[in-house]
Amino acid sequence: MTNTIQILSIEKTGKESSLQKEHNNKSIKIIDGYFFSRNLDDEKFTKISKLISNDVSQTILTKKNINKVLSSYSNFNWVVEIKFLPGVTDNIATTVKEIIKDNLKSSFKSFELGSTKIILIKGRKEDITKISKNEANPLIQTIKIYPFKKFLNNFKKNQFKIEKVKLPKKKYSKKEINLDISDYHLSLIGKLGIEENDRSRRGTLGLDLESLKTIRNYFSTIKRKPTDVEIETLAQTWSEHCKHKIFSAKIDDIQEGIFKKYIKGATEKIIQLRKDNFCVSLFTDNAGGIEFNKDWIICHKVETHNTPSALDPFGGAITGIVGVNRDCLGFGKGAKPIANTYAYYLADPNKKYQLYRQKNKDPMLPANFIAKGVISGVRVGGNCSGIPTPQGNVYFDDRFAGKPLVFCGTVGIIPKKIKGKLSHKKKANPGDIILMVGGRVGKDGIHGATFSSEELDPNSPVSAVQIGDPITQKKMSDVIIRELRDENLYSSITDNGAGGLSSSIGEMAKESGGFIVNLEKVPLKYNGLYPWEIWVSESQERMTLAVPPANVKKVIKKFNARSVEATIIGKFIKKEKAIVKYNKTEILNLDMEFLHEGYPKLNLKTSFPKIKKEKKKIIKKSSLIDKLHKLLSCPNIVSKEFIATQYDHEVQATSIIKPLQGEGRVFGNATAIKPLFDDEKSIALSQAAYPQYAETNPYDMAGCSIDTAYKNLIVSGANSKKIAILDNFCWCSSDEPDRLYQLKEAAKACYDYAVAYQTPFISGKDSMFNDFKGFDKTGKSVKISIPPTLLISSIGVVDKISHLTKMTPDDDDILVVLGNTRNELQDSVYSKIIGYEKSKNPVVNSKDALRTYRKFEKANKLGIINSAIGIDLGGIGIAVTKMAISSKKGLTIDLKLKNKISVDQFLFSESQSRILVSMKKNKLANFKKIFKDSDYTIIGKCTASDVVEFKDNKKIMRGKISDFAKSYKQNIKGL
Amino acid sequence: MNVLVLSGYGINCENETLHAFEVVGFKGKIIHINDLIQNPKQLNNYQVFAIPGGFSYGDDTGSGNAMAKKILTNLYDQLIDFSLKDKLIIGICNGCQILINLGLVPSLNKKDPEVAMIENKSGSYECRWIEVKVSNNKSPWLKNISTMHLPVAHQEGQFMIPVNLLKNIKANNLIGLQYIDHQKKLAKGQFPFNPNGSKDDIAALTNQNGNVLAMMPHPERAFYHYHIPNWQNSNLKKFGDGYKIFMNAKKFFA
Repeated sequence: MTNTIQILSIEKTGKESSLQKEHNNKSIKIIDGYFFSRNLDDEKFTKISKLISNDVSQTILTKKNINKVLSSYSNFNWVVEIKFLPGVTDNIATTVKEIIKDNLKSSFKSFELGSTKIILIKGRKEDITKISKNEANPLIQTIKIYPFKKFLNNFKKNQFKIEKVKLPKKKYSKKEINLDISDYHLSLIGKLGIEENDRSRRGTLGLDLESLKTIRNYFSTIKRKPTDVEIETLAQTWSEHCKHKIFSAKIDDIQEGIFKKYIKGATEKIIQLRKDNFCVSLFTDNAGGIEFNKDWIICHKVETHNTPSALDPFGGAITGIVGVNRDCLGFGKGAKPIANTYAYYLADPNKKYQLYRQKNKDPMLPANFIAKGVISGVRVGGNCSGIPTPQGNVYFDDRFAGKPLVFCGTVGIIPKKIKGKLSHKKKANPGDIILMVGGRVGKDGIHGATFSSEELDPNSPVSAVQIGDPITQKKMSDVIIRELRDENLYSSITDNGAGGLSSSIGEMAKESGGFIVNLEKVPLKYNGLYPWEIWVSESQERMTLAVPPANVKKVIKKFNARSVEATIIGKFIKKEKAIVKYNKTEILNLDMEFLHEGYPKLNLKTSFPKIKKEKKKIIKKSSLIDKLHKLLSCPNIVSKEFIATQYDHEVQATSIIKPLQGEGRVFGNATAIKPLFDDEKSIALSQAAYPQYAETNPYDMAGCSIDTAYKNLIVSGANSKKIAILDNFCWCSSDEPDRLYQLKEAAKACYDYAVAYQTPFISGKDSMFNDFKGFDKTGKSVKISIPPTLLISSIGVVDKISHLTKMTPDDDDILVVLGNTRNELQDSVYSKIIGYEKSKNPVVNSKDALRTYRKFEKANKLGIINSAIGIDLGGIGIAVTKMAISSKKGLTIDLKLKNKISVDQFLFSESQSRILVSMKKNKLANFKKIFKDSDYTIIGKCTASDVVEFKDNKKIMRGKISDFAKSYKQNIKGL
Repeated sequence: MNVLVLSGYGINCENETLHAFEVVGFKGKIIHINDLIQNPKQLNNYQVFAIPGGFSYGDDTGSGNAMAKKILTNLYDQLIDFSLKDKLIIGICNGCQILINLGLVPSLNKKDPEVAMIENKSGSYECRWIEVKVSNNKSPWLKNISTMHLPVAHQEGQFMIPVNLLKNIKANNLIGLQYIDHQKKLAKGQFPFNPNGSKDDIAALTNQNGNVLAMMPHPERAFYHYHIPNWQNSNLKKFGDGYKIFMNAKKFFA
């Protein structure tokens, strides 16, 4: 009899080796443990162990062999046991349950199991503690450290335990909330949540006093008290996350708000100006859609998952990526995800910031733990889903120490028409059945709380902790895309993300009128959830479908045949009412109009911020070559190859411009995929953000982001008439007038530059309060705000694969910089790493930029351009060196041509809208013809040597390409 | 010529795998494992059985293990039967891991798996392009190919083979592909030429007949010339090296 199965690998695993390396070569062994809620007799133990292990590579521990087996590796003396807290998604356990169910049929029922990682070490207690800190997160896992002897004893005496979700037994009775109370008590409901009978509070609703008064007024007109479910629902629906109140608020004299005026306004203006509208679906759906070719639409959406990633980096990031995949699945009638994008804005992983949420307790996770967790979360999410992840970037700045920014994006594809009907149009009809498909509902991410367990400080402001399950989602996604969509079996579809069912059904019901939901029908992960919890839970991997009654049986059958749950939970109605019942008791009955539009509108004022001047740094005296090495190896320029190689960018066999470019593998600014086997059209992807420019001038910062994201696609070979962009604003302290001023300025630039480039916004998202309020290690209170960050993602169509460019020149190519180089070193990488004296911040002149881009496009189509790279961080100096590293070809640069600026200004200025190109000598005449009234500088040529050399009037400075490559490919310290 | 391409539970390369077979002249169908279990007789309609890459069951309990166990319980005899006929089976990446876990390759002592797929030596997922040489010219899948430039993308691509068995595998000439370096010499375990630390640089194994091939690299992702990294600098015409594998399947039945 035993209640655990524990398996270890016979040979040292890669993971064990890397752990050993990180921890001074201590002997380490990792055991995969499975703890069962019931005892297994010998027969079951043998059968199940065989099912979940491998005879050749693994050993199963038994009471008989354990001493011998483990002592053959080392004299271990400490153990850490890491397992998930009750209720946290345990994907391995789900698989094991499924294996047992599938292969042992009915012989073994009703049991629970949890997966465990047990790490053994020969070392001191400090060593095992250090390991546990690197390998586990106390927010989602229990971490038990004990001596090896105790481990042996536990094993022999069956003392391993699985902790089940324990919820207090409670019977639900309809709860009415009295709002006729003092302002003080009313605001308590908003801040701390609804009061339970035992006087405890459910957790913040994020409703301000004005909103609560609005709710009170509504209910006094309909002459009854609100139920708890109604208040919870309104809190969800009216949240900043769902309604984007700041973007839609009146701000200064802008009545319609900055979203309508500047973002949507830009797109409307562009459509009005252009005759060739290629936008298909804008802002209203889960993603934005543009025309790809005559038969297909592509859509793109980028989301952020910042707070969850700060608390549980792996879980936050995996949930971010699989969540945005669902936005594509929920685009129109369901688009197939064909590419993921990522952008991480993180604190320096090599620094110890030592921040605490509460005085001297509740520490923030270390920066390197966050960085590693985020990178691997997207890896597991993307790779396991079979969606390539070609495009991304990482940027480091101390100001992300309190809150990392984790952007996850997905591109999808869908036929324009399905059975003769436009695929991007969907409408839940009155009478349609509400079908919830995919995963089950648990307490995940309710008011963001995980629960139970003494390890968790009850006061810690923990919000949404969920862990994505890509395989459950993949199964669901396959059924929708392959077996249902093209049969036209449902009328509408949307994803369950923030706000769960309350939000997805609430949104979809706008199409029909209203809805009636029976909450007791919703399948649960475990019993004991209150109706309001079921209604707002953010459990992952779920979609909501509107299915005509005649098709329901067929649809459910198709899901079930693929081991996916599908449950009827209600129906859509014509009447504009939102109605929720629980065991026949009506617990919510609201007018749809009030639910969606009843919230009090904000009225915001802005004020000009004080500009914090960058401290003058003295330029350290060093050689040009030395400076290049310093810049190449700094974390913001150094190669991100280590991420590109762990993200599968080849799956679906669409990768045509890869993240690592040239024989020398340089991390590119843009990537491209060719999504259809029978059309050579491709999709180019890029993105840009310049948080480092934000405090100096937010308008110019936004201009630079749009320019770079646009330029990168032009450089890659995209058709300038088929480029669309997405905006993701991540702001800080958005209740402060100076931050709102910066927001307004950035949004205004969005309008100006998008309209100038005629590149429409098709989708966007904002996250307005990325601030950390807590304490430093001395107990002093600190506030760390991210720098305002606007990520612009660009998506464009490349008409022919011959238009796709490369960054590798050939021998004797002439090198030319397109665009104008000015003394714009302020906030540049150079100014941070080397130092600066007096300079300006980069400003985009859209007229000049467009002239360059149009001519580049023309020259590229005519075959004049042989290679090209966008010039951005680190300026011409870095662009030139990257070209050399990528092609492994020598380059000679003539510094006499620098005009009136200094060598360093010429080489490292981050002036925008510039492209470094190379061309064959015999194309130069044609090139000059095309570029005759445009700024360009011939700066040198490609040689057959192994050096990059810079020639001045007096001297020649040389650096070996292999040395530059070494600097560029350095590991980022701390990762 | 019909090919059955398996799908379900996280397999994810079925579209591109089917496409590659179709381009060289096969008719084919993607069939979900549950449908195949429901009606295993449909296997009779096919000459090629392909298990594509992916992440069946998320690699939990070891890559390919859970899917192999499902096949073992429900379809094993039929699949053995298929392999004993004049038919072809290929497992690519996750498909390779599944075939190895099933013991269909190298299949020197039947039933129990003899080889294991373990985690890459680097401890991390590796998505990169490598070169392999064909070490076995008796497998119909590998005829007349000398070397190939293909991508790998896996976390567990290291073949673990007990010493005696490895001797036996060599004696029977069952090593299908081996990783090589830029000089076209065996990689000798050197990263990144050998991306996972596989013993003897093994990238693929076959069964004794050679009709079952389990390979870690992805030929379907190196099918067209534009799949190849820096294809703009290469003089490949229409196809990449992966094409050869699929053409060989066609030639076998032609």
